[in-house]
Amino acid sequence: MKTGDPGILTTTLEKALEWGRSNSLWPLTFGLACCAIEMMAVQASKVDISRFGSEIFRNSPRQSDLMIVSGTVTKKMAPRVKRLYDEMPYPKYVIAMGVCVIQGGPYVEGYSVVLGVDRVIPVDVYVPGCPPTPEALTYGIITLQKKIRGEATR
Amino acid sequence: MMEFQPGEERGKDGRRIIKVRKEDLIGTLTKLKAEGYIHLSLITGVDRKDFIEVVYHLHSFERNEYISVKTVTYNSEVPSVTSLWKSADWEEREEYDLVGIRFIGHPNLKRMFLPENWVGHPLRKDYDLKNVQYINVDEEGEDYATFDPGDGW
Repeated sequence: MKTGDPGILTTTLEKALEWGRSNSLWPLTFGLACCAIEMMAVQASKVDISRFGSEIFRNSPRQSDLMIVSGTVTKKMAPRVKRLYDEMPYPKYVIAMGVCVIQGGPYVEGYSVVLGVDRVIPVDVYVPGCPPTPEALTYGIITLQKKIRGEATR
Repeated sequence: MMEFQPGEERGKDGRRIIKVRKEDLIGTLTKLKAEGYIHLSLITGVDRKDFIEVVYHLHSFERNEYISVKTVTYNSEVPSVTSLWKSADWEEREEYDLVGIRFIGHPNLKRMFLPENWVGHPLRKDYDLKNVQYINVDEEGEDYATFDPGDGW
């Protein structure tokens, strides 16, 4: 679990920080392929992740702390994905959305697709599906919140 | 082995398919363009293992009709049609990049999508997928291909 350097903080304050971080996850505006359409639906009014504190999709990686990698990561895009991840401030979290991002999906025998974005950047929560429904991604975000608070079972 | 016979036939959707030798390609396309097929909508390359087939899809706005012109090459070289259609420039670069067809007379035959030092042409049947190549970015922001998965991967 990535919660930054705890230092000499007491457990109670750490719990407060985790609570705060988990309830204000600001995602990066970052869509790579068709999964991005479902990610936009997550932000829209029907399945509204503002209810869980993921208020706005920030336009700069320096203002965001959650990267939803939504869509096929090609080999050309992979260095850029890594660069965007490096520009985000700690603590930062990554959700891999869709089977293309998890292990290559239908392009697993292709020449141009990265077989899993976790070969480039570390991933916290995997959301399978092609594409995952907005509800599934919302569940992924809630799972990430539980993980930040140390409540996730696995 | 498939044989290539010049001539004309009809496709499954009734579309005219004109098959020509590559020596007659420029002449045929010039004649068709004068007949009204002024729009080059697509160029595709097909690897048939024994030879490479190049298909030119033309459209006539007057007749509202699509036709295909097919030619084959055994040494991966085809005359360029950039003198007839400017839009053929990028289409032929794409074919060169992915199928490896060299268009003779093309003004700027460079790779379109892949980095310059990528080995092989991925849509060829004999492309070896086991030799995985990766792409990295150098200090100037230019892509380069590498076989070494380290260095940022």
